Amino acid sequence: MSDFAYEEDSYTSNKIDWNVWKKIFSFLKPIKKFVILSIAAMAVLAATDAIYPYISKFAIDEIIAPNQGVVEVNLDKLPVFIGMYVVFMIIQAIMVYLFIYWAGKVQTELAYNIRKKAFHHLQVLPFSYYDRTRVGWIMARMTSDSRNLSDILSWGIIDFTWGVFLMVTLIVVMFLINPILALIAIAIVPVLFVISTYFRRHILKAYRSIRKVNSKITGAYNEGLTGAVTTKTLVLEQANFNDFDGLTTDMRKQSIRAAMFQGMYFPTVIFLISIGIALVYYAGGNMVFEKAISVGTLYLFTSYVWQFFDPVNNIATIFAQFQQAQASAERIVSLIETKPEIADTDEVVNTYGTLFDYKRENFEPLMGDVAFRNVTFKYHVGEQVLTDFNLDVKAGESIALVGHTGAGKTTIVNLICRFYEPTAGQILIDGVDYKKRSLGWLHSNLGYVLQDPHLFSGSVMENIRYGKLSASDEEVIEAAKAVEAHEFIMRFEKGYQTECGEGGSRLSVGQKQLVSFARAILADPKILVLDEATSSVDTETEQLIQTAIHRLLKGRTSFIVAHRLSTIVHSDRILVLEDGRVIESGSHRELIQSQGHYYKLYTNQYSEEMLERSKH
Amino acid sequence: METSMTESKKKQGIGRSMRLMFAWIGKFWPLLIASFIFLFFISYIRTIIPLFGQHIIDEILGYSESGSRLPGFLMRLLQADTPQKQLFLTALLLVAIELTRALMIFVRRTLTAVFSERVSYQLRNGFYRKLQDMGYSFHSHVETGDIIQRATTDIETYKRFIGDQIIEVMRLLLLVGLSIWQMAKLNIDLTLISLIIAPIILTIAIFYFRKVEKLFQVIEADEAKMTTHVQENVSGARVVKAFANERFEIEKFEGLNRKFTDSDMRLVRKMSLFWSATDFICFAQFCLIAVFGIVYTANDTISLGMYTAFLIYAGHIIWPMRQLGRLVGDFSKTSVAVSRLDQILVQQDEYVAQNGTLMPEITGNVRFDHVSFRFADSTYHQLQNIDFQVNKGETIAIIGKTGSGKSTLMNLLVRLLDYQEGTILIDDTPIDQIEKHHLRRHIGIILQQPFLFSKTVEENIGIADRNLWTTKSQRIQEVAKIAHVHDDIIHFEKGYQTMVGERGVTLSGGQKQRVAIARMLLNPKPILIFDDSLSAVDTKTDIQIRNALKKEWKQSTVFIITHRITTAKEADRIFVLDHGVIAESGTHQSLIELEGLYKAIWDIQSKIDFQVEGGEDHE
Repeated sequence: MSDFAYEEDSYTSNKIDWNVWKKIFSFLKPIKKFVILSIAAMAVLAATDAIYPYISKFAIDEIIAPNQGVVEVNLDKLPVFIGMYVVFMIIQAIMVYLFIYWAGKVQTELAYNIRKKAFHHLQVLPFSYYDRTRVGWIMARMTSDSRNLSDILSWGIIDFTWGVFLMVTLIVVMFLINPILALIAIAIVPVLFVISTYFRRHILKAYRSIRKVNSKITGAYNEGLTGAVTTKTLVLEQANFNDFDGLTTDMRKQSIRAAMFQGMYFPTVIFLISIGIALVYYAGGNMVFEKAISVGTLYLFTSYVWQFFDPVNNIATIFAQFQQAQASAERIVSLIETKPEIADTDEVVNTYGTLFDYKRENFEPLMGDVAFRNVTFKYHVGEQVLTDFNLDVKAGESIALVGHTGAGKTTIVNLICRFYEPTAGQILIDGVDYKKRSLGWLHSNLGYVLQDPHLFSGSVMENIRYGKLSASDEEVIEAAKAVEAHEFIMRFEKGYQTECGEGGSRLSVGQKQLVSFARAILADPKILVLDEATSSVDTETEQLIQTAIHRLLKGRTSFIVAHRLSTIVHSDRILVLEDGRVIESGSHRELIQSQGHYYKLYTNQYSEEMLERSKH
Repeated sequence: METSMTESKKKQGIGRSMRLMFAWIGKFWPLLIASFIFLFFISYIRTIIPLFGQHIIDEILGYSESGSRLPGFLMRLLQADTPQKQLFLTALLLVAIELTRALMIFVRRTLTAVFSERVSYQLRNGFYRKLQDMGYSFHSHVETGDIIQRATTDIETYKRFIGDQIIEVMRLLLLVGLSIWQMAKLNIDLTLISLIIAPIILTIAIFYFRKVEKLFQVIEADEAKMTTHVQENVSGARVVKAFANERFEIEKFEGLNRKFTDSDMRLVRKMSLFWSATDFICFAQFCLIAVFGIVYTANDTISLGMYTAFLIYAGHIIWPMRQLGRLVGDFSKTSVAVSRLDQILVQQDEYVAQNGTLMPEITGNVRFDHVSFRFADSTYHQLQNIDFQVNKGETIAIIGKTGSGKSTLMNLLVRLLDYQEGTILIDDTPIDQIEKHHLRRHIGIILQQPFLFSKTVEENIGIADRNLWTTKSQRIQEVAKIAHVHDDIIHFEKGYQTMVGERGVTLSGGQKQRVAIARMLLNPKPILIFDDSLSAVDTKTDIQIRNALKKEWKQSTVFIITHRITTAKEADRIFVLDHGVIAESGTHQSLIELEGLYKAIWDIQSKIDFQVEGGEDHE
């Protein structure tokens, strides 16, 4: 994943952005109860942690009872001591159990809520969003960022609470016992704070920089693997290695430097604490001489000085982590707040329902007339692809779109599917602007077959049923038979229950195409969009595919980004596109006879296929 | 992969990976030993610290006749006439000795960092080198994600092992050992009492972390299922939308999200139980020590100062036990990572496995002498009995259908693949006797889908001669002009400084091919191969590039794999490949007269007639 890291930089700022945090905190609302409970458990725990050394003080002062170099033991109070200890142990164990449980609840439920909200929003976002955003970027939001945030907002807050409560309790107890010795004991705390904050912040910074180098190294591995053959043919092994060595050397140096820096932190703290303890020993020892305090109190204070380090360190760490986590927070908020550019108007939603809840009873039947009226279109970046484009297609007509890459074939298809909307002009379906009907209405009447058919992990049955979720097993099999897929499916050991693998990886290219045809025919769409595959398959499958395509197109309005000669030849109308304009249109026979662009394209592109044909 | 291993094999694997863990340290072991030595002294000082408290209570405040237990060399520094002065000296000495410890910790951490970083640096480089040197068949089967996982996560796991875990285990053992020793010097009975529960804690911790490891795997699997769903949903967004299945997707995600959350929570529940239970046990041990300590102090077996010291030592033993259990439990992770790295590192690379040693002058005569080839996992021959002679300076076109073996033929010539029968000779030297780098340096091959590096256009073209990057030589632009890509480049916003490859702009297929041609033209090559590498360039540019080449590269032997008959036509000779054999060969004219496959292609490409349409009714 880390090869996407370079895109993450744009989000790291240093100031705390309360707006962002407010939005993230709102995710905590449904689990408020657990937040409060875990904080409460932690507060109790902090108090018991502070009281613990006090039990020892009790033992020393009340039982052993030292006095002027002589101990006057009083074992009567031993049961009290044991009683106090057992109560402490029980409270400690219960609180540890509860705080971990509740904080864990906060952590897991928060991550759950963030992912749920983000995924929900992803379904609403239009296709243009996916065109612009890399899968890896989205994945990182759903995994590492939601994890980071839920960690810091659960364990982070808990640690912070514990730190603050413990410190306050320690200070209060110390002042109650002996204010002067308390002042001496906490003299080092402010210094400890400053130093911890300084180190924590810089350590995190150093590791951030190391992570950047690390993602470069990952990138280099990736390039080394995908470009391996090129490297061999150009004999670049040594040069590549030198580049790589540059990165790993940088990594090594930075890591050692960071480790040394981090290595200074703990010793500095030890040194500071030793000063604190020495002060307490000296001042406290003298107080014992003067009978101002007991030996037990001296013991208590030295224990407390040691105890200060953990909370201070915790608080410093959490401040630094919060700064880090803000980047995650910003990215998640940016995902959740991306406004969908293509959405139904309120009016349309009132009539036809939302994306997740259709009002099917209000759906008009779709006949299949499609018309482009002065459609102009431009992607976010780049030039205008279509200008004043006009096209009339009658229901049931099949249209083949041909032309070079970049001529506008895919754009037309994207517009018909309403993956994108025209920048200007209108697209009419059955004579009505399709924006006046809902996305759900259009998509439930649309079939779409991709060039590289995208299957989901799951069985063949489930994949075909994706076209119509309510379809029975019989209907699914019927659909598979209709597109000549049944036979190969039955040849699998598990038939329709065969797993397709991630992205359909366990099926061959040709098999995937047939399954995607079955899926489309099951949906029984009025409009069919077919982006034909260029990849070659074996002759037998090729025959099946061609038969399947003819069956698929029958009785539907269809738009085909065509690569197969037979598909083009059999379509009702061929549109030859160039630079977003139709430069020729007509049937195959008409276009060949006119010896124009189509003729040229045809002779260049399809000669190999014809060679194949001429041999049969 | 590991799950399929049988139990005995697994054990053997653990033995091997343990040996490897230490073998990879190599020459850096003195750094590790030095870290250990420092650790010893650091731990020793730490176990002296409690004695300062004991010293103050027993010696200075006078609660014991037996006096201070501080080592003699420290005692000598603490002589003073009044208790106040003694107190002052003790406090000062404490700071001084803690400062020494602090400095030693810093040195120890630096040593360890240098050690673990150097070892992992060496490992990263070695791994990269191995990948680079692995042969073509390795790279054509490899799963990039899996290998990168090994190169990053597994090396990181190993680094944590040698840099943190070994050190931590050693530190804890030293601390526990020295503390027991110090305690024993104070009082044997109380020491034994302090150790009653410690082994129980250790056992529980080891057992627990082993068990939790399995739960981690369940969680990982659940998370993987959920992320796979997101991944598929996002990359299949078109399909989701086109079939209007948003709601279905959300419901499915909801189920997976819930399941992952619930197994995560199962871990939390186990964690809370473990930590609270072990806390309870640990404190029970403390309680035991305290009670016995009080009784012993009461009957004067130990002094008050010793009692307080015992309380501190107990902490040095009890908490590390839990920690040790955790480290031992984590050990299996490292073992898995190491064996995954080993699987790659033990493979033989192509320069070791099959390389020649000769470095003869290469002028460009090529002879295939009855060469046959089949892929290792295939039963039939991809190429059969290929036999031809090409002279220096000749241009040969190779045409044939997809899968007829054209690319394989050329891959044999640069030894990306090795043939099984016959011989290939370059200037009368069998190529399997020529050193591979030397061979490839003299043969330029341009692939159909060339790979460009994440560098600027300029650097990509000059990739074979990095001196040109700094000297800003005109040579780069010259070759760009020959390859007809110069005009495209200067139209980019940043011209030759435009970043390409994964992190830069996307070039069109034709532009990529032409950049790849330009970079190959940088240095003269006696043999040039175009593996369909002008396929994405239009016919006119194709001709212009070839004409420009002809002028510059008169001396070179050129092989052109092509689908275009217009390209093939101009070659000195044409080979027509069909099902792994050279079906026809000769000049354009002679092949036309032969009335074979070549003639058929020629007819189709040069004069399309309408009978094609008649042939369409295949249904």
